[in-house]
Amino acid sequence: MLTFRLAVRNLFRNTRRTILTMMMIGFSVSALILVDAITQGMLRSLTDTFTKTLTGEAQVLRAGYSESFDVDLYISNVSDVEALLSRDAAIAATSPRVVTGGMIASSYNVISGMTHGIDPLKETDVSRLDEALVAGEFLRGSPLEILIGTGMQEILEVDLGDRIVVTTAAADTGELTQALFRVSGIFQFGIRGMDDSFAFINIADAQSMLSMNDAAHQIIVQFRDPDTANLPLQLATDLSDWEQTEIYSWMTLNREIASMLEMSSIGTVILGSILFLLVSFGVVNSMFMSVYERIYEIGVIKAVGTRPFEIIRLILTEAFVLGFASCLFGGLLASLVGFATADSGIPLGQYEVSGVALNEAILPVLTPSQFVTYPIYTTLLTMLAAVYPAVYASRIAPSEALRKSL
Amino acid sequence: MPQVIQTQNLSRRFGEGDTLVRAVENVSLTIDSGEFTALIGPSGSGKSTLLHLIGGLDIPHEGSVKLSGVDIASISGAALSDFRRDHIGFIFQSYNLIPVLTAEENIEYVMLLQNVAAGERKTRVSEMLELVGLSGLGHRRPPELSGGQQQRVAVARAMASQPDIILADEPTANLDSKTGATLLDVMRELNQSLGVTFVFSTHDQMIMDRAKRLVHLRDGEIELDELRESVAT
Ligand SMILES: Nc1ncnc2c1ncn2[C@@H]1O[C@H](COP(=O)(O)OP(=O)(O)OP(=O)(O)O)[C@@H](O)[C@H]1O
Ligand SMILES: [Mg+2]
Repeated sequence: MLTFRLAVRNLFRNTRRTILTMMMIGFSVSALILVDAITQGMLRSLTDTFTKTLTGEAQVLRAGYSESFDVDLYISNVSDVEALLSRDAAIAATSPRVVTGGMIASSYNVISGMTHGIDPLKETDVSRLDEALVAGEFLRGSPLEILIGTGMQEILEVDLGDRIVVTTAAADTGELTQALFRVSGIFQFGIRGMDDSFAFINIADAQSMLSMNDAAHQIIVQFRDPDTANLPLQLATDLSDWEQTEIYSWMTLNREIASMLEMSSIGTVILGSILFLLVSFGVVNSMFMSVYERIYEIGVIKAVGTRPFEIIRLILTEAFVLGFASCLFGGLLASLVGFATADSGIPLGQYEVSGVALNEAILPVLTPSQFVTYPIYTTLLTMLAAVYPAVYASRIAPSEALRKSL
Repeated sequence: MPQVIQTQNLSRRFGEGDTLVRAVENVSLTIDSGEFTALIGPSGSGKSTLLHLIGGLDIPHEGSVKLSGVDIASISGAALSDFRRDHIGFIFQSYNLIPVLTAEENIEYVMLLQNVAAGERKTRVSEMLELVGLSGLGHRRPPELSGGQQQRVAVARAMASQPDIILADEPTANLDSKTGATLLDVMRELNQSLGVTFVFSTHDQMIMDRAKRLVHLRDGEIELDELRESVAT
């Protein structure tokens, strides 16, 4: 108790130095928290770009399909697989898709594109295709409906209600097959590749074009907790006996993004280490100055019977109070910045991640754990940095110290 | 009278070769319980060094120091700290007090190290404040006290832990002679009424006139050990 009282009062002997040190530690803590929050925010928006647009959080695919997109690699018993998946507690929703490459033509132009057959009711549970619509209406399951992107609309020079012909090869036989559609909706994901070359039709139309009955190429899976998609995927359901199908996390399907996510946590670690290093130098410096100024006094209290360990404890307590108070300040600062930007986000300009242009403002993701972990680390580090000055102080020889006139 | 301090052929040197200083040389000194002894001598004669050796703050090159029969060379580290805490009271020339603690808290400090119970601490603090004539000033911090008052708080702190001896190195050097004389009277009063053993150094004539025994030092050696009949008041 005396130690604590002494420590607090000693810190306020040189108020300016203490406040400067506290600001340095506090700013570092808030920087750590905010960088972590912004990184998480960026990752979240990046993750959303994949999981909430088209890829979904995971996909059930036949082995080899993700490399070749071979139309022959389809899952024939879609409803059985879906029923199986629906029994997995971790899985919230599933939706089958038929995917085929082919020619998409209007009366003016023709391009090659990817046509997706989807189940409009189920699709809304696993992707945001419906929200990406900028004109017309989403699929309703009626014949001839097709959704195209804004890029494709420009190339084909078509508008809502105009005719479009999709030509592709049927599964298994490879026979050419053709169908006529009318543009029922226009979407825009803001991702060029998708807006230029993706088209969506009702799954029944796609199945009949490709003559594949009730089969599908992909079953998109939505988890109850998005973190379930983190690698390695741990699910109760094992589909390996089922036509060599497997559940692939979106991270597996987008390796480069996944490795980028891993890299970004390394970035936080590097930044954290640099800040921690700066903080330690600052603390060592500040604590040493305060010990030097008190050499005579430390000599006196040692002379009257204070044990070396009690001196160490005093200096470490001073460091603890310094670190703790600084972290309160830093945490407060971080939460203020966090609150101020919670709605509008932090605009970082446009940035591109493996061909995907993102330009939304980043919403910092603040979690209680950031406000616990970083302050604890920092306070411990402050105390660690004070060990050297503390040991130095504990070893001051009283007879030497007492010769130093003030 | 039991011997509280016994030094035998004590020597302490600083430097070497041309710069060798024999700060304390071959000092054998015995002080009995209840004595009021002054170490006197010119600057550099070894007064502080001898007091530090006696108080276990410094280590002699030769000879030994026994306090209440304990050879202090046989203890070190935390045990030596504890020995000083429990058996020796120190008063230095100035800046004796912890500036961030009040007078009361300073007096309490050593008792806290000793784990004296709170009630007992309180009683002794007010007792000591009264003995040194500072009742009512216990809540002041050192910067709010005069030099003489600060030294009296230092005396009170040294007394509060109930040591065998109190070592004071020029306790009056930073005080004007009247204030210094008053402090000495306080110390002698405590010596006479409570029997506390005091050893202090000084080179102030008016202060040494108040001591019963004068140990004259010169170049680290005892030049004269003088017991006096009449003592000034
Ligand atoms: N740590 C040290 N290093 C070098 N020399 C020292 C040291 N301590 C003391 N001395 C020398 O030892 C001698 C005795 O010093 P000491 O301080 O004991 O004298 P003193 O009688 O207390 O003097 P003063 O009246 O000035 O306080 C002096 O010559 C001093 O310079
Ligand atoms: Mg001296």
